[in-house]
Amino acid sequence: MIYYIGALGLIFIGLFIIMTRHNLIKMIIGLNIMDTGVNLFLISIGYIRKGTAPIFSKPGINPGAMVDPTPQALVLTAIVIGVAVIAMALSLAIRLYQHYGTLNMRKIKEQRW
Amino acid sequence: MNLEILLSIAFGGAFLTYIFGKISRRLRDFFSVFISLILTIFLSYFYGKFEVVPYFSFLGIPLILRINTLSWFFAITIQLITTFSVIFSLSYMKEKERLDFYYFMMLLVNAGMLGIVLAADLLSFYIFWEIMSWSAFLLISYNRGTALEAGMKYIVMSIIGSMCMLVAMISLYTNYGTLNISQISSQISSASSGYILFIFILLLVAFGIKNATWPFHTWLPPAHSEAPSPFSAVLSGILVRMGMYGFLIIFYVILGLKLFLNLGKGLCSFHYILAWVGAINIVIPTFIAMFQNDSKRLLAWHGIGQGGYMVLGIAIGTSLGIVGGIFHIVNHTSYIALLFLVVGAIEYRTKGVRDLNSLGGLIKKMPITFLGALVGACGLIGVPLTNGFVSKWLIYKTLILKGYSFLAFAALIGTWGTILSLYKFIHNIFLGQLPEKYKDIEKAPFSMQFPIIILSLIIILFGILPGIPLKVVNSIGVSFGFKSLDVNIWGIISETGILNLVNIFTAILVSLIFFWIIFRSGAERVKILQDNSYAAGSYIPKDKYNYTVEFYQPLFRMIKPYFRDFIDEFYSKIVETGRRLSDRIRKVYCGDLGYYVTYIVLFLAILIAIKLWGKIW
Amino acid sequence: MNPVLLIVIPLGFAFFIPLLGFISRKAEKFIPSLALLINIILSLSLLPSVMRKPIIVLLGGFPPPFCINLFVGPVGVIFSLIIAIVGFLVSIYAWSYIGGDGKREEKYHMLYLLLLAGATGVVLTGDIFNLFVFYEILCISSYALVAYLGEKAGVESASKYLIQGSVGSTLILIAIGLLYGQFGTLNMADIAQNINTINPLHLFIPLVLLLTGLGVEAAIFPLNAWLPDAHSSAPSTISAILSGIAIKIGIYAMARVVFTIFGAYQILLFLILLGVITLLVGELSAFSQNNIKRMLAYSSIGQMGLILLALSIGTVEGISSGLFQIFTHAFSKSLLFLAAGYMIYQAGSLKISSLEGMGKKMPLSSLAFSIGAFSLIGLPPFMGFGSKFMIIRSLLEKGNSLFTTLAGIVLVGTVIEGAYFFKVIQRLYFKETAESEGGVKEAPVGALLPMIFLVVLIISIGVYPKMITGILNSCAGELLNRLEYIKAVFGG
Repeated sequence: MIYYIGALGLIFIGLFIIMTRHNLIKMIIGLNIMDTGVNLFLISIGYIRKGTAPIFSKPGINPGAMVDPTPQALVLTAIVIGVAVIAMALSLAIRLYQHYGTLNMRKIKEQRW
Repeated sequence: MNLEILLSIAFGGAFLTYIFGKISRRLRDFFSVFISLILTIFLSYFYGKFEVVPYFSFLGIPLILRINTLSWFFAITIQLITTFSVIFSLSYMKEKERLDFYYFMMLLVNAGMLGIVLAADLLSFYIFWEIMSWSAFLLISYNRGTALEAGMKYIVMSIIGSMCMLVAMISLYTNYGTLNISQISSQISSASSGYILFIFILLLVAFGIKNATWPFHTWLPPAHSEAPSPFSAVLSGILVRMGMYGFLIIFYVILGLKLFLNLGKGLCSFHYILAWVGAINIVIPTFIAMFQNDSKRLLAWHGIGQGGYMVLGIAIGTSLGIVGGIFHIVNHTSYIALLFLVVGAIEYRTKGVRDLNSLGGLIKKMPITFLGALVGACGLIGVPLTNGFVSKWLIYKTLILKGYSFLAFAALIGTWGTILSLYKFIHNIFLGQLPEKYKDIEKAPFSMQFPIIILSLIIILFGILPGIPLKVVNSIGVSFGFKSLDVNIWGIISETGILNLVNIFTAILVSLIFFWIIFRSGAERVKILQDNSYAAGSYIPKDKYNYTVEFYQPLFRMIKPYFRDFIDEFYSKIVETGRRLSDRIRKVYCGDLGYYVTYIVLFLAILIAIKLWGKIW
Repeated sequence: MNPVLLIVIPLGFAFFIPLLGFISRKAEKFIPSLALLINIILSLSLLPSVMRKPIIVLLGGFPPPFCINLFVGPVGVIFSLIIAIVGFLVSIYAWSYIGGDGKREEKYHMLYLLLLAGATGVVLTGDIFNLFVFYEILCISSYALVAYLGEKAGVESASKYLIQGSVGSTLILIAIGLLYGQFGTLNMADIAQNINTINPLHLFIPLVLLLTGLGVEAAIFPLNAWLPDAHSSAPSTISAILSGIAIKIGIYAMARVVFTIFGAYQILLFLILLGVITLLVGELSAFSQNNIKRMLAYSSIGQMGLILLALSIGTVEGISSGLFQIFTHAFSKSLLFLAAGYMIYQAGSLKISSLEGMGKKMPLSSLAFSIGAFSLIGLPPFMGFGSKFMIIRSLLEKGNSLFTTLAGIVLVGTVIEGAYFFKVIQRLYFKETAESEGGVKEAPVGALLPMIFLVVLIISIGVYPKMITGILNSCAGELLNRLEYIKAVFGG
């Protein structure tokens, strides 16, 4: 349960940062925190306390005690996607800074209406 | 089968004209006239034939063409007017640019209109209607400048009309499973009167907009005055009257005579209200026309006014009325087209002058054009021996027979307004002082005079021998379920009297000859020069004789405070509100990323809130 | 033929492009066209057989619930066909439009193919996490492509798009996690099968999260703030792809979630409401716009509203009319963007007023623009008429006054749309312009060809809508008939 609360907390913190901060880098950090929260959430779905690896390495392992491997696979993929997004975002931030000389998203409002 | 060929010639000819235009100008000019003539001949061959041809299927709905007296009558009118305009265009448009496009659109509009009157189901009616609408839009905008605004006004109102028609059509389809006009008409009698009224009002708006019936008339004056003159002739003459055709179709083909007359009760009965709308349409626009200084705009307002007579005739729902109304459509087509062509000829010679205050005295320079204008004006006013007289006589008779004295009075007032404004029209262009700069003006070229002469002859011919078209019109009335009128080649015998135009003609001719002889045998003619008159005892230099400025000025001063197009202002206000609303709504996209993310979160929150408290789903 | 190729070919060719750069720089721009041409042929050849029976492709060889499977039904194939056709034509246009200043543009072509591979993957997959992965491929490559030119506007829009898009994707991922937690499976058919065993209140949260997350890409009203920016500042080819394809993928995924996975018919009324709001907001925003690409972008929002509305009617006719509208919009809007592309390039400005008189200088592009606009407004004899006709018909067939009112609102939207499109057309053809600037010339042949092809498509489908309505009906059947879907996956 504590993991779910932690995950939800991270997600909300991330969302809050994105909504309230002005600096693009901080927003990206918020995004990253949100991603982390989601990953934690995914992992905790399959997590079993004191579980074993989902491999029949030696005889007599209780399959019920095995940790679900699918969320782990999901998280791996999600992490990769997250990294790609963050990398993309940071490279865009660099370009944005070159153009505007600022990263304050309240000031970068040329595209509107 | 033949109808398909007819329409393919019409559409294919339009495309080919465009392609030929890329090759050579002469070929294009020749070909466009050739196509119009071919179509005219083809159509006249269909006289008195009945044919129903399914030709295509769209989304599982069969599309059908048919020809009967009604559609033949309209089709031949359309085709003749287009032919005249195309011939007129040969010299009128000569020095303009993008003629390939012009002729293409002209023939496309023509083809669209032919399609409308030949359509036997509402879907093909709608398709051709739309083709006609957007190609007319392109032609109205052709002249650029202020024409752009006129085009926008036209197309927006036209789209609104088409959308109403679309809803009505699809609603009919979902209820009856067919769009075939005759099948719908056989089933609609079982529908509830509320539903009929719903369909009826939608279609009324759709056709009313095209017919420029008050209060949907606001697009017409700018559109007519800004379009190229030959197209104005088509536009005012027949394209607008497609709305009348639509009225005929819904009143007497889809609803049928009995159902139409029984819609509503007593003073609230539908056709009576409609007749009043027609009366309003007669009175207001003709008087507005009086104060116009743009010759085409003056005629355009008459286009609206004359539409009132047709609505009046058709809405009353007696056999005299319907014959008068339909006959008035074709009469109006002939003389309004003639007048627009006359204006076109003058525009051509004076290099685009339409302002009535700066013209004058052209009678000696352009005599044939003047005669055309005179005949056209007489027709529009309804002077005996022109066709306008016959149809107006029929409509008056209907009103008197029915005892609708107020409506008859309105029609009469309309005629006064027509006389006054057309007097201004003829006077300001042809009479009065010839401005110095038009001294060397030449008469109109033959390709302009030809349609003017032919149309004038048609007006007089139908005025003296009205039986020729009336026979056809009468059989249309009979096909709507009216009882047949006693129509002869020389006129009409109705229950209240005989209208024998040949007799009138002979009487007038004889008296004319009589007076001519008397005048000839009298004293010598004395020619009085213009300089030979004095005002307040002092000599007036020649160039000060300018009567043509500010006609009807005292009258105008009197009604000036009320002389506003309230409806147009109302529509403009709606558009303005829309624009402001649009600017307001766009502010949602404020450019601030924080807000954007907040929108997403808020959306999520609202969805959850609705679920938890609202129980909407 | 194996339907996997539909995804593998663009994906593989995408990574092949930078390698090819070492051999021949000139060849790289032809690769996307080649890949997509193969895709067109593949989709066309698959179409008859999937119409009879959907093909289930197992990736990994286990039976369905355990491994990722592709569900190649009529919907999937028809969408991949749209993607391939529009993608192919736009890639031909890009031969001359992209680059030209000596820079290498292998990145553009690679990302372009990746975007389309992602889109094809989304529509074909039968696994919800796999859908998410392809969806992310699509999104990330579109962020990069919006910023491709590296200009001020592009970078700004791309970064805003990225933040909003990522928030949306995160919501989707949470929803997938919740679904997995409840069902222990990611297979869409498997979830659909067991959907009734779970308390509806627990299902509600993932449904809402999915709708919101996918709604960002599908441009539903309050979630679409990225769209006008991104569509207007991307290169015109990318605008065409984003407007023609990317947002349709969002709406496809929404339809799949609502109809197939959740079978949540009770939510449709709400979606209709959303569609109406989106329609009106989009059309009204476009009404007084004077930036041409922004106007087209707002019109895309309006059209998405219309599509959402039509799909949410929830009858076979309604859904097939919505799919028809997707076709119409994909072709017409990409035609509009392509035609506007070279006009903007020649005029050097995005202002509508700077396009005045283009009808004379660039006759074919202007003609293509007009036809695209006519089709979107829904004038016969163009394609838009058929779809609008079907939408109104399916609205009126419902027979109650609410739907009649909705039909009225749709037509009000059409009137507004007509007003602003006709204004642009007037400016193209009938506005006086200062002559002299002789630099303006017609778009090159390579760019005209795809436009002409789209025009031909629009007119021929407009005249013979029967060409596609049969397919659309079976698509609607697939979306509506959940049991068939489940049976097709499991029953073999």
